[in-house]
Amino acid sequence: MVSEGMEGEILKGHLDMIVLAALSGGPAHGYAVIEEIKRKSGQAFDLPEGTIYPALHRLEQAGLLASRWVTADSGRRRRVYALTRRGIRALDQQRATWEQFSDAIGGLLGGTRPSKNPA
Amino acid sequence: MISEYVEVLAAKLGFDRSLSRRVRQEVEDHLREAVAVDPAGSALEAERRAIARFGDPLDIAAQFATLSLARQTRRAGVAFILVILGIFAAMRTRIAWYALRQWALSDDMRAVGGVVASIDAYAFWLSLVVGVAGWAYISICRTPATFQPSYHKQLHRFFVLSTVAMGGLIASVISDGVLTSLRLFGTQVSSDFFIPVFSMAIEIAGASVLVFRIRRIRHRVASIAGLVKA
Repeated sequence: MVSEGMEGEILKGHLDMIVLAALSGGPAHGYAVIEEIKRKSGQAFDLPEGTIYPALHRLEQAGLLASRWVTADSGRRRRVYALTRRGIRALDQQRATWEQFSDAIGGLLGGTRPSKNPA
Repeated sequence: MISEYVEVLAAKLGFDRSLSRRVRQEVEDHLREAVAVDPAGSALEAERRAIARFGDPLDIAAQFATLSLARQTRRAGVAFILVILGIFAAMRTRIAWYALRQWALSDDMRAVGGVVASIDAYAFWLSLVVGVAGWAYISICRTPATFQPSYHKQLHRFFVLSTVAMGGLIASVISDGVLTSLRLFGTQVSSDFFIPVFSMAIEIAGASVLVFRIRRIRHRVASIAGLVKA
């Protein structure tokens, strides 16, 4: 589980990207976003579920998500979130940055990445 | 159990009623859904587990409070610019009205009027420049996930800029009031008074709204800081 200590902090640092990625499949309410994060991460991420909601609100405030109320089959009103165009662009950008970062760290740790400037 | 939990969370966000209502509905829906899909036989046990997974209501409230504060300070920055522009429009309208009615200051008031008009101009431009700086500063500040000391410092800087800008604006409105009184003094009351009096009322109302808004945000910062410490 990536949930405690430094690993938990790393996860929190990337929470916005994780939430955007979870919504890339289509609009969803908070509970479904958490389920999607668990499913896509193979249950590796186990943050307190409540921390997702401030992240959803923050991303909405930043214009990366839009939301609206819908009535669920249970009759309860729920807020459904969807990526905006800006959100899609931000996710693409973050994905590219992450891939570069991951590649660089992988090279450092594994020592398999060819150096661009060989001595 | 869920109702109690949601009640605590909503109460902690009581300083922002619309946020409190929205969070209450969202969280309650989340917890009820979590209970509905929980395989535990006991509903009470399922509720307890759903709440435990959701996290400490104080932590969550503090995160929402930071967001609410960021939204309000940005809105206050925009309101500041709009009020300054409104006051400028009121001033220009009044001056245009004086020109149209050929309503000049009397000779014995002209010297005093010149000094007050200079104070007015300097105070107004100070307010505009510092107000725009404050708005730009708070707009580019990144909202952190939690109410950190660095964010508290950023808010403090915003309040310093707002206070200086407010001081300038109040000095400008007072100067406008003095200038308007100098013109109206000794003149017989007529329908010509409407534009100067109405434009002054707009200026006073605008400045009062700003003072009230900034004070309210200051109080919220204090209560949110208390919430975070708790």
